[in-house]
Amino acid sequence: MFKHYLKISFRNLAQQKVLTGINILGLSIGIACFSLFLLYAVNEFSYDRFHTKADRIYRIIEWWEGEGREPGGSGSISTPVAPAMKKDFPDVEYAVRTTDRGCLARVNDHVFHTSITFADADFFNIFSFPLIRGDVHTALKDPGHLVVTREKALTLFGTTDVVGKTIQIKIDTAYKPFTISAVAENIPANSSKSFQLLGNFEHLANTEMVKQSSNNWHMTIGIDAFVLLKQESRLATDHKRLALFRKKYAEEEIQDRKELKKGKGKKDQQQAVQSGIRLQPLRDIHMNPQVEGGADPKNIWILITIAAAVLLIACINFTTLAIGRSAGRAKEIGVRKVMGSERKQLIVQFLSESFLLSVLSAVTGLILACVLLPLFNQLAGRQLYFSFSRFPELMWLLGGLTLLVGLLAGSYPALVLSSFNPVEVLKRKIRVGGSNLFTRSLVTLQFVLSIGLIISTIVILQQIAFMRSKNIGFNKENVVMINTQRVDAKRIYPLYKQAIQSNTGIMDITAGEMGLGSGEGQMGRGYRNYKEEISGVIEYPGDYNFLNALGMQLVAGRYFDPAIASDTMSAVIVNEELVHTVLGTTTANALGKTINTAKGNNPPKTIIGISRNFNFEDLTHQVRPQLFSRPANLEPARIYVRLQAGDPAAKLALLSNAWKKLVPDAPFEYNFVDEKFDLFYKSEERWSTIAGWAGGISIFLACLGLFGLAALAAVNRTKEIGIRKVMGATVTQVAGLLSKDFIKLITIALVIASPPAWYFMNNWLQSYAWRINITWWVFGLAGLFSLLVAVTTISIQAIKAAMANPVNSLRTE
Amino acid sequence: MIKIRDLEKIYRTEEVETVALNKISIDVKEGEFVAIMGPSGCGKSTLLNILGLLDDPDTGSFLFNNIEVANFNERKRAELRKHNIGFVFQSFNLIDELTVFENVELPLIYTGVKSVDRKKRVEEVLDKMQIMHRRNHYPQQLSGGQQQRVAVARAVVNNPKLILADEPTGNLDSSNGNEVMTLLTDLNEQGTTIIMVTHSEHDARYSHRIIRMLDGQTVLENIMV
Repeated sequence: MFKHYLKISFRNLAQQKVLTGINILGLSIGIACFSLFLLYAVNEFSYDRFHTKADRIYRIIEWWEGEGREPGGSGSISTPVAPAMKKDFPDVEYAVRTTDRGCLARVNDHVFHTSITFADADFFNIFSFPLIRGDVHTALKDPGHLVVTREKALTLFGTTDVVGKTIQIKIDTAYKPFTISAVAENIPANSSKSFQLLGNFEHLANTEMVKQSSNNWHMTIGIDAFVLLKQESRLATDHKRLALFRKKYAEEEIQDRKELKKGKGKKDQQQAVQSGIRLQPLRDIHMNPQVEGGADPKNIWILITIAAAVLLIACINFTTLAIGRSAGRAKEIGVRKVMGSERKQLIVQFLSESFLLSVLSAVTGLILACVLLPLFNQLAGRQLYFSFSRFPELMWLLGGLTLLVGLLAGSYPALVLSSFNPVEVLKRKIRVGGSNLFTRSLVTLQFVLSIGLIISTIVILQQIAFMRSKNIGFNKENVVMINTQRVDAKRIYPLYKQAIQSNTGIMDITAGEMGLGSGEGQMGRGYRNYKEEISGVIEYPGDYNFLNALGMQLVAGRYFDPAIASDTMSAVIVNEELVHTVLGTTTANALGKTINTAKGNNPPKTIIGISRNFNFEDLTHQVRPQLFSRPANLEPARIYVRLQAGDPAAKLALLSNAWKKLVPDAPFEYNFVDEKFDLFYKSEERWSTIAGWAGGISIFLACLGLFGLAALAAVNRTKEIGIRKVMGATVTQVAGLLSKDFIKLITIALVIASPPAWYFMNNWLQSYAWRINITWWVFGLAGLFSLLVAVTTISIQAIKAAMANPVNSLRTE
Repeated sequence: MIKIRDLEKIYRTEEVETVALNKISIDVKEGEFVAIMGPSGCGKSTLLNILGLLDDPDTGSFLFNNIEVANFNERKRAELRKHNIGFVFQSFNLIDELTVFENVELPLIYTGVKSVDRKKRVEEVLDKMQIMHRRNHYPQQLSGGQQQRVAVARAVVNNPKLILADEPTGNLDSSNGNEVMTLLTDLNEQGTTIIMVTHSEHDARYSHRIIRMLDGQTVLENIMV
């Protein structure tokens, strides 16, 4: 029986080439989209599971809760925590600290900037990163050992046979030789811990920063720490033991907090932020947005929902087209029933057809997904590949998806077609065309989804354009920001300034201890506000001309002046926000006032100027209080050069040459400040691209379905069209007759799609402190676009039908 | 074999009520060849559909082999139909997507006959209908007469006790029509009961008895000598 169904299915599909093509193309695109997003989701949820001891590995995190803030944590932990845990808790089998450092490295005469991860020697006792050369037990035994990945070994030496070779790495100010002790297999893309060069943490022990932090429980220097707990250990959930541990070592800090509370009311005590040490499971790191750096699983579900919507549109095509051509199958159904077929046998037969189509589409869809994978990887910022061995769940997920698609697409036609009365169909009394309430509703649903996605795309693009073009309070155009972190910047900066300032095209030069734009980090400190509470203030230590060179405007007071000695000691320029929220006064009254750090261990700062607010963060944030200073001992981390507008190539060459003359052993690393600010909106750009693609694909699929339905409508109305033409109808009138029903559906879809699209996008916009208002024309544009595409699609069929000779149409009938 | 009493079938729309069968009573014995005649709309086809268990009456009794089937549900009717009744239609009603062999094989599939036995029985019947050489052709590739021979082959492949023929020669020329009537007569001589609806007096003469209908009732019965 099954063989019979299969045979009939193939013949039916082969006979209806256009409709089969539409169905397979549509379902393949839908399945390809869904498979790619599924792969992405599976990859995201599979982070770190390849470690054989993954269920016993935990990251030590700092956790805060209270004072009305959402509970949250940070993986950055102070230097002594991990060794102390190993010492105090018998449950801890191993504890390691890891930290990433940007360093200059030298192989033979080639100097390059690279990131090196330094980790304690037990690193390989915790994590399962297989070595292709060397031994895990001795890989980090010696402080001078270095592990490289296969990829890095090939890049640096052209071979993986590199054990025993030397790489010079600049630690503080001098190059030190490191011997390669092992070569690791490339780190899987779904690993939250990764490295290319791995050195022994011991090597950092003598650096100034680590020395300062080694016994300091309140200082963090970008160290992540991990522990491997023994089997049966419950330490991870035993917050009491962890609190006692914290208390033992951080008594001083706790005391400080108690004293702070004493000065406040009972209410404040209840609300004070509680911080403590927690253990976060390794598998939780990538997908826990409560801990800094964790992704939000909500975004993955949104992606899956978008992909499911695209797939649903393709399934709807199958259903509507199957119903549409049911008139052509009525006789077959009647005959089968007369010959003894039961309804359930017909249901099985029709479902077999849809399963067959779904399997064919799944195969085509997977091939399509593989072809599109590089493009998708670019979009997702990942290195994904289809691997059933790496993601075994993909096998049953894709299998299940294929079955689900078959069932979803085929069940309604199966139920409707199998219910035909044999007597009526054989007498041709039943004429089920492509258009009934159900199919009309499905077509409307397709366009609701498509128009919704188009509206979302337009709104996201508008918001990005707004954020890019908004005056953020300083002139970010034509400013080159040069990284001076790995050179003796204090000495280099004045020399570099001297070397380039007299050249044409160089408008201004300044320097700061902080960078500007995405990924540049911030430096903040607590200051006592006018309510005697602590307010966080972002600090920008920079050169005298930092504000004017970057085009930040003063609303009161003056800029820093080299002629006034006190400007390098206690003078600060603050922004308007600080004046309002920290000082609780107006700009007119703020000049000359002083502010004090929370601990009171620094001299008070006198306000000499007030700058206009500028958005140093992305526009999801309101401007926070800021303070600019000109320290006597300025240590520039960035040099800013404002160029004359125009082609920057020659000016960049000039900057690069001047740099090489001064610091020949360090690469010239620079960014344009406006591009660094644009990077803030990378995520939005990604979302707009995803929504745009999804919208485009869904409109394409919906139109593909419309094309098929219009073709069926033309066939089913052959006689009517013939009679109308004989009665004198023009081609336009006949084309209009076939198009108007569909146009009505798209208009209804626009009306249905607009309110939820407005609701969701307005909600999305609420996360931006600076945002656009959604205007009515966005909906009009989305509707017009959909209508235009749909009418073009229908017209092809409508005009074809309208131009046919009526004599032939009537003879056909 | 068939005994119907006071059978009534009324088609209703919102405004119109059409009486298709008006308390009709008929008996058909096993091995009989009965022709039903009458003008269009007299209820011949409705009667045939009820006799073929494709439709159910509104009131009345229908005994098929002494079993009351008037109130059978669709599943029971299908079960009884596939084992006992074969159909021949005016417009052949072959499935265009199936070959001659597969069309004839169809009733055997639904009665659960094994593949090997199916092949044997289909070949036998195709041979008997002299259409074996066309076994792999599709219906569109055959002449009208050949298509009706395939339809007859399909009707008899399950060895039904009863064949219902609805104007079996209506779409055929006289030569092909005669051929089909000869086939039906042969089948009847081999013991199959045949009930045939026809407009053709010529075809009706092949039967043992002619039942004439008007307005949903029998008005006359002619016994053929």
